[in-house]
Amino acid sequence: MDLWANLAHGFSVALTFNNLLFCLIGCIIGTAIGVLPGIGPVATISLLLPITFGQPATTAIIMLAGIYYGAQYGGSTTAILLNLPGEVSSVVTTLEGYKMARRGRAGAALTVAALASFFAGCVSTVLVAASGPLLTSVALSFGPADYFSLMLLGLIISAVLAQGSVVKSIGMVVFGVALGLVGTDVQTGQQRFTFGIPELSDGIGFVSIAMGMFGIAEIILNLEKPEARSVMSGKVGSLMMTREEVRRSIPSVLRGTTVGSLLGILPGGGAALSSFGSYMMERKISKGRHEFGTGAIEGVAGPESANNAASQTSFIPLLTLGIPANAVMALMVGALIIQGIQPGPRMVEAQPDLFWGLIASMWIGNLMLLVINLPMIGLWVKLLAIPYRHMYPSILIFCAIGVYSLQNNVFDVYQTVFFGLFGYLCSKLRLEPAPMLIGFVLGPMMEEHLRRAMLLSRGDVMVFVQRPISATMLAIGAIALIAMLMPNIRKGKDKALLE
Amino acid sequence: MKLNTKDLLSAGLFIAFAVVGLWLNQDHNLGTARRMGPGYMPMLTFWLLIGLGCIVLLLGLFNGPDPLAKWSSAEIGFLIAGPVVGVVVGMIAARIPGFPSAGWNAFGIGLFVGCLVAAVPPGWRALFLPSAAFTLFGLALEPLGFLVAIIAAVICSAFADKEHLERPLGVAGLCTFLCALCWAIFIRYLDIRVPLWPQL
Repeated sequence: MDLWANLAHGFSVALTFNNLLFCLIGCIIGTAIGVLPGIGPVATISLLLPITFGQPATTAIIMLAGIYYGAQYGGSTTAILLNLPGEVSSVVTTLEGYKMARRGRAGAALTVAALASFFAGCVSTVLVAASGPLLTSVALSFGPADYFSLMLLGLIISAVLAQGSVVKSIGMVVFGVALGLVGTDVQTGQQRFTFGIPELSDGIGFVSIAMGMFGIAEIILNLEKPEARSVMSGKVGSLMMTREEVRRSIPSVLRGTTVGSLLGILPGGGAALSSFGSYMMERKISKGRHEFGTGAIEGVAGPESANNAASQTSFIPLLTLGIPANAVMALMVGALIIQGIQPGPRMVEAQPDLFWGLIASMWIGNLMLLVINLPMIGLWVKLLAIPYRHMYPSILIFCAIGVYSLQNNVFDVYQTVFFGLFGYLCSKLRLEPAPMLIGFVLGPMMEEHLRRAMLLSRGDVMVFVQRPISATMLAIGAIALIAMLMPNIRKGKDKALLE
Repeated sequence: MKLNTKDLLSAGLFIAFAVVGLWLNQDHNLGTARRMGPGYMPMLTFWLLIGLGCIVLLLGLFNGPDPLAKWSSAEIGFLIAGPVVGVVVGMIAARIPGFPSAGWNAFGIGLFVGCLVAAVPPGWRALFLPSAAFTLFGLALEPLGFLVAIIAAVICSAFADKEHLERPLGVAGLCTFLCALCWAIFIRYLDIRVPLWPQL
């Protein structure tokens, strides 16, 4: 079968020394920032984007992907041991994981978290490999109108699933699209909204926005609230799980992997949403549900497999359709575009090294993570001894050098300061930055598809509802919007995201 | 009262941004729906943003109360003074020949001074000192070199955290560590093109 030949090719790419090295570096950095609260994958990836430009595209993406799924592993460690979620996606792990640690089963909780993540990672990688070529062949029959509707659907769902008010999130999406308009118009060459500034003729720097809104704004917000670092009490204990614990975890891992894989593909979904979805499910239907609240192993196994599965399946829409499902994937689009690769359905065929190499590297990366996490847990926990006052100047300096080195221009540095202040304002007004970033990335592509679609249809708007694919996308988007207007569903979502 | 201040301000932000955008968009040819000009998509986007802003505004009248944190009068005063002083200083710098007016320097000087002024009340330090440090790095990098820029930015940002002030040695250690680390990564390994030492 073709799949095997492709996978073999992927492994031959991923197993080169350079790619292995950067996969390892990505996994280590990912675990580190997963352990450390106060810096997340979005900030780290935007921070490291400039460093990857010197690398070949495949190596760069392999490393950045390693950071994303590595963070899911690392986040669970502090959640279990210290009741301190290193990432949003491990918030629910604290609920049962920390209780298990208090009962003296910390070692078992860590083991099940790592093994569940590993299993989910392997399964979801197969899913990415299998669905890639399939979805790509579907996507190749898309016309401009279908693309436009698909992107619109992606934007709507990412806004609907974002935290807080849906209208404000959609507003932020449109805001992002508007920022994406700055620069030279592709078809006529006219400068739009550049105020005569030559630096803006290529558009606002993507890295500046990401670093400002996610890097600097996060530093400011962390500095504002007093530091709360708990110290680990008690011992990790034996890493071995009892037979009973293994038996109880297996169905939860299977369910978690399924939930995570499905929710990861959704635009706006991703690790955080799926770990919560899995937790809710385990609390309702697992055999150990009456033990929830006292340290049920199902409550660790399910969510931990779900968040890792989701962090990998969220690559599916990116690699096959060129549509980012969440803010991390929006950064990947940015990384690809800067490398001169247009994400889209042709990528699987045009860049087989990248697609299959990335898939193979995910497998290898998951294995590496298992090895660097379990035996070295003590080492990772020691990272927490670094006070934030030493971390934030370092992050700041890395951001500054990175953003300058993009084009050797200080304008980018000042631009980043503006977006940092703006990001702070947004968080105070409860405006979500992630939908804005996705809007900013998709905006220029949407404009192009819209113009092309309207040209082909001779100015007839009906083309969007006459083409079946496009009409389906718009219908799903409309249903999602209407569903959010229903008070019951909206309350359910708010509850799900707030807890 | 059920006013949601945060929503009302968000709505204001959306609408103001969109109105300015529409006004600037008058320069661009709209074209027709069939052959869209450069101004067509901006027009759609900004009108959509105005519409959404109005919905947020209407909802914000009823779904509150959600007030902003209370600001002291000093905080409000310096928040206004910062940008004003920044703009004035930037405009003055642009008229001084030599370094202050070259390239983006006048802009950077204005931004830096503005952030510093706004950082006078303790409540704003976490917000404006890291921003000032970031700007300072940009200002110092080309004339004074990579290492001086790192040290200046670290010291400036250190003032944002009270504990740093009690431990000057810690800051010095951090400067040394970051200089060495950044030199190894960015100069030695990635070989980015920046001056390392002051350019005399």
